Amino acid sequence: MLSPERRTSMAERRPSFANFAGSHNQIDTMMIPHLAGIEDPLPESTPETVDVLIAGTGLVESVLAAALAWQGSNVLHVDCNDYYGDSSATLTVDQIKLWVNRVNSNSIPSYSNAKLYVSTSIGSDRRYASRDFGIDLSPKILFAKSDLLSILVKSRVHQYLEFQPLSSFHTFENDCFEKLTNTKQDIFTDQNLSLMTKRNLMRFLKFVLNWEQMPDVWGPYRDKSITQFLFDKFKLDKPQVFELVFSIGLCSNIETKVPLALQRIRRYLTSFDVYGPFPVLYSKYGGAGEVSQGFCRSAAVAGATYKLNEKIYSYNPTTQVATFSDGSKVTVTEKVIVSPTQAPEGSQHIPEQKYQVNRMACLVEKDCNEWFTEGESASVVVFPPGSLKSGNKEVVQTLILGAGSDCCPQGTSIWYLSTIEKGSRAEMDLDAALEALEASLLRESSTEITQNDDIVQISDDGRPIINSVRLGQSFKEYMPRESIQHLMKLSYTQFTSTPPFDVVNPALFDNDALNNRANSDRKFIPNASDNGVLYTAMPSSEISYDEVVTAAKVLYEKIVGSDDDFFDVDFEDEENEMQNGPGPVPNNISYENAIDDDDEDADMGMQGDDSAEFVGKMEI
Amino acid sequence: MSKPVTSIKLVLLGEAAVGKSSIVLRFVSDDFSENKEPTIGAAFLTQRVNINDHTVKFEIWDTAGQERFASLAPMYYRNAQAALVVYDVTKPQSFIKARHWVKELHEQASKNIIIALVGNKVDIVDENEEERKVAREEAEKLAEEEGLLFFETSAKTGANINEVFMGIGEKIPLKGPEEEAQGSGLNVTDDQRVNLDSPGNADGPAGACSC
Repeated sequence: MLSPERRTSMAERRPSFANFAGSHNQIDTMMIPHLAGIEDPLPESTPETVDVLIAGTGLVESVLAAALAWQGSNVLHVDCNDYYGDSSATLTVDQIKLWVNRVNSNSIPSYSNAKLYVSTSIGSDRRYASRDFGIDLSPKILFAKSDLLSILVKSRVHQYLEFQPLSSFHTFENDCFEKLTNTKQDIFTDQNLSLMTKRNLMRFLKFVLNWEQMPDVWGPYRDKSITQFLFDKFKLDKPQVFELVFSIGLCSNIETKVPLALQRIRRYLTSFDVYGPFPVLYSKYGGAGEVSQGFCRSAAVAGATYKLNEKIYSYNPTTQVATFSDGSKVTVTEKVIVSPTQAPEGSQHIPEQKYQVNRMACLVEKDCNEWFTEGESASVVVFPPGSLKSGNKEVVQTLILGAGSDCCPQGTSIWYLSTIEKGSRAEMDLDAALEALEASLLRESSTEITQNDDIVQISDDGRPIINSVRLGQSFKEYMPRESIQHLMKLSYTQFTSTPPFDVVNPALFDNDALNNRANSDRKFIPNASDNGVLYTAMPSSEISYDEVVTAAKVLYEKIVGSDDDFFDVDFEDEENEMQNGPGPVPNNISYENAIDDDDEDADMGMQGDDSAEFVGKMEI
Repeated sequence: MSKPVTSIKLVLLGEAAVGKSSIVLRFVSDDFSENKEPTIGAAFLTQRVNINDHTVKFEIWDTAGQERFASLAPMYYRNAQAALVVYDVTKPQSFIKARHWVKELHEQASKNIIIALVGNKVDIVDENEEERKVAREEAEKLAEEEGLLFFETSAKTGANINEVFMGIGEKIPLKGPEEEAQGSGLNVTDDQRVNLDSPGNADGPAGACSC
């Protein structure tokens, strides 16, 4: 094992810029701190020797590169593609075309069965340009309370990015969408819930926030399914159970075990109201591809060297020399980390990728605003098991992004669908979900809707309410004359070594000859081009970023010996944005949390009013 | 009532050793910007200047060396409102490279980006005119053709450095006070952006900067 204190960190070695700047008018180029972000004399070629070589600029690799670079490691980070992001890339339509061709010629390990349709409306001098779209190979959402978000803020990488809120979660049931009832207020104002259901739901929501402290409640159900637990123990009905398990918990099927599901349900609830009345965020201009670029830039600022269009040809763990396809070489003193997609020819150590994720991405010529909360441009739609006419056993998760995300032009949207179902069943499920989305969109955007008396209900106090649940039902028989215009439809199978809804298994990194020289013979395969290489895990089916930091940390510990100083950087504070105020505004505002205390609903209402008024005062 | 603040993302481009960073360091630490000491995070250098009734906050992005192997990320150009394309008046090769960067900016960056072409190291030429290898007229011609601001500067003496940034600041459309997000309680601004530095709850993510 290497000592975690093998070298001083970049933060420690860096001269203080504040002190430097204090000497006014004494500026001399010789005094410029040694930090790539400010500028070094740049060498014309890549370094001859580095501590760590990383191949692939996917999100896990990029987080790792930044963590290592700030820790003080000398990192060479390459990618065989001419773009950043690798398996997490955000691509234009033209880049997608090339990518599909490469997948189908078997030149990108871990992907297969790519199918693509592109409308003639996209192209040069057409209605839309290829680069108007940013299509994610691995779409992700960011929980407001999550380890990646903490790292983004700590590393300041969030300043390179723009995040937008997402509060619309829909569950598809009985051929229509139900908007999620996810806050205490929603529950108490929802007219479709019986008093008993409301009470049971509240009881569960209080329990789940502290579920680990109450093993007497869930202990007996440790190995049982979450659905059975909710039916038995909390007497909840199927619609509520499905909302909790599939939309809030984003679980894959009804067999999901109790502890995992509880943890996932709580994740949503504790993320709510951290930054505002929404549980998750997503990054503008593209998801994981954009976040990857941010971490790569951070790594570069800390001195990492970047080179695209550079493919590993082989690595020799005895001489510690890595050779690239263009003939250049680098000596790697510590570790070579490679994404499975960038494995050299003749590789024999890629971990088995035995889990499938089947994905679909559609560019649709509809703005889909009816699915978004006002002021937002994204929503999540979940199709629970059995809700589709394909009789799906696994959930189909859908992320919808509108033009406000700047991933697509005005009047269009991107629909990302995914399932852990395999093979032709997966295709049927994805197609059925796509069809259901289209049918629903055509119904909801029909102009006849508000003129139909059956749909507009009058509430107790005389206000008309348009009930979206009834909308769906009422138009069940409605046959749309209009059809949805697809601008692009892409589907593919991605393989991963990470089990569905689980995190990366550290055993994956056992192809680790350098650390185990004593018994390394066993691990060396003659003529393999990748002896001694550590492979990263491909993105899993997880729709959130929650696996990413764990995966990067496991690798970091393998290299550095400990993850104690993972992003242990202490940047000088950015200037205070609220210079003229007596104190920071956000700290003084108490948001009403979704359901985090025992107050009666009346109290909650009061609190909400108070904070709204307070906000008003602060504006003066 | 404080002055409205407009943030401007400014990117730096130019061949190695033309003095990109010296120009920026001169700008962010010089006396003329009365405000305060510059700060550095991992992200970018920032500097505020007052222009008329406005405060302009420059967020200055360096390439961080990623341009060396043609590996600059799209993120670098994204939403940049201004760019400095720097060359060395004593090095003709650096002017050729500057032409390349101007072309690249027109292709990659937003259409209304304000580009300043900056010929640095005029102090050397002032001492010995024979050192000049890029004619002022040639650069002016390029600036005119491409619609660029043009300055010859010396980061060493500070000559014309402030003028570069003031020139850019004056060309940027400034926000009115009503467009300011400051003081509104929500962390979501008009363009839907969430400010991750400001969790609504005190028990927000660990490490969040709430200063």
